[in-house]
Amino acid sequence: MSHHPSYLGVFLTFVRNSLVRDMTFRANFLIDTFSSMSWMIMNLGFYVLVYQFTPNIAGWGKFEFFVFIATTMFVNSLVQAFFMPNAEELSEQVRTGGLDFALLKPIDTQFLVSLRRISWSSLGNFFVAMLLLFYSVPRIEGLELSFWQVLLYPVYILMGVLILYSVMIALAATSIWLGRNQSLYDFWFYITNFSRYPMEIYQGTWGTPLRQLFTFVIPILVVINVPARLIAKPLSWEHSWLAAFGVVATLGSLLGSRWVFKRALWSYRSASS
Amino acid sequence: MNAIEIRQLQKSYRVYQKNEGLMASVRGLFHREYREVAAVKAIDLDVEQGEFVAFLGPNGAGKTTTLKLLSGVISPTGGEARVLGHVPWLRENDYRRRFALVMGQKNQLWWDLPAQESFTLHEKIYRIEHDKFVRTRDELCDLLNVGHLLGRPVRELSLGERMKMELTAALLHSPDVLFLDEPTIGLDVIAQHNIQKFLKFYQQERKITILLTSHYMKDVAALCKRVVIIAQGEIIYDGSLAGIIDKFSGHKILSLLFSDGRMPSDLARYGDVLEIVEPKARLRVDRGKISQVLSSVLANHTLEDISVEDPPLEEVIAELFSHSAEESERGKTAEEIRNGEMRTAGVSERSNK
Repeated sequence: MSHHPSYLGVFLTFVRNSLVRDMTFRANFLIDTFSSMSWMIMNLGFYVLVYQFTPNIAGWGKFEFFVFIATTMFVNSLVQAFFMPNAEELSEQVRTGGLDFALLKPIDTQFLVSLRRISWSSLGNFFVAMLLLFYSVPRIEGLELSFWQVLLYPVYILMGVLILYSVMIALAATSIWLGRNQSLYDFWFYITNFSRYPMEIYQGTWGTPLRQLFTFVIPILVVINVPARLIAKPLSWEHSWLAAFGVVATLGSLLGSRWVFKRALWSYRSASS
Repeated sequence: MNAIEIRQLQKSYRVYQKNEGLMASVRGLFHREYREVAAVKAIDLDVEQGEFVAFLGPNGAGKTTTLKLLSGVISPTGGEARVLGHVPWLRENDYRRRFALVMGQKNQLWWDLPAQESFTLHEKIYRIEHDKFVRTRDELCDLLNVGHLLGRPVRELSLGERMKMELTAALLHSPDVLFLDEPTIGLDVIAQHNIQKFLKFYQQERKITILLTSHYMKDVAALCKRVVIIAQGEIIYDGSLAGIIDKFSGHKILSLLFSDGRMPSDLARYGDVLEIVEPKARLRVDRGKISQVLSSVLANHTLEDISVEDPPLEEVIAELFSHSAEESERGKTAEEIRNGEMRTAGVSERSNK
């Protein structure tokens, strides 16, 4: 027996088991995929309507904004597939005492709790996003993609996913203190709502403080804006600080959420037998 | 060598004192009163490697809390514990690789998947070599006779079958210490018996250390030589199963078979009459008076048969538990119960009848 758990092996088993499970409930799987995809497509329709009345919003033209939406869909579908079901379940596991079993395993508890279940149906939007991206990017006027843009785009998407994951797992971990935290999902929705728009729209008396709050305190504006800008706009030094900040924000969020999670586990009290 | 060492281990919970009624609930939103509940009060316990020890006690006595402390699921309020040389609540991987916890009331297998898939997950988490994993799994499934159910979703298994799968999952990594929290709860007699048989065999074969809590005296009688009774968070007895009767029961059961239907009508003067079915009678007699009663019975009556027995263990323990609950309401400590207060209280109550 080796002394280090095989994280990749465990992850792949989670991937496999979740797939087997999702396939068992085939109808549910199809309905899930279909409903989340149609919701996103309707959303897209709404912006098509909006762009009938204006050529651009805060500097984002129609196709640039479509790329922005595609980025949102990439990030959200990944978060929903890998982390959302687990964060939701954590609250339940705390209430029922199911977390006990996770604590017994000779493997990092946060890893185990965060990736246990993968919701394959949420990946449907990932493919819609792919189509939208390939449709929109060539239609952006005057954009010539460089090698760096193509390379860094997925990296920053991944960083965005990690930031959202951090916020989510920190929120979910609070249910260890609170005993129950069912408003997790609602709160999540309120917060991520802000991330779905270009950060330039947050201006003025209300907008500026909001932008600062959601950039520096809870860095969710970075999540979509950095990768979207990276691929939809020509590279410019003016915005390189944002790219650097993206890295800092990701590391900061991960460390912060790790700290919250560990603190919470320490005060875990388990449910009665 | 001691596998488990516990010194002055304590765990108390802060519980929100909820009052009845809507107004009280509203007040509770702003101002909460908390009450400290001591689940485990400074217990000491040593368990040797290879021992099979039963934890008995009424509901809420602190058995499960102790097991959870020893498996590192919760951390204590005070005191120390070492299992296999590790402090459990530090949750070191080196420790977590060497023990397992099975809870009869909770399941860790994936509900919608065949048990086989959960086993594979354990193979990866504990990093068991594949050959060894297959060998151990087949061996356990053979012993428990569940090999044919490996491919069936866990939700479709019966309670007994599921428990066997839970046990298999817990033993795949060949733990040195096993904590069992009511593993036979809710099972029928046959399933209970099968699990007992398995545990007995496995423990003797592997010489692992097992701590078992159970409500079924049969589990305990079949499996454990050593019994620890815990009540109100304190250990009030530690010894053999038979010793419980000596220590906590103040009486014996006297069975008499009278010849030629000459059953006397004044049997009550010898002790409490439990049952009369002519020509048989069963009496409960104070332990201290048994020889005196015997000689007097033999002198005055013609008997075909006579026997003196200890009361059934289950009765003694049930009595002990109900007394410890009453005593705690009256404010007596477990110390007093342990020192035999309980015996005199029990006896005097009975003689008042």
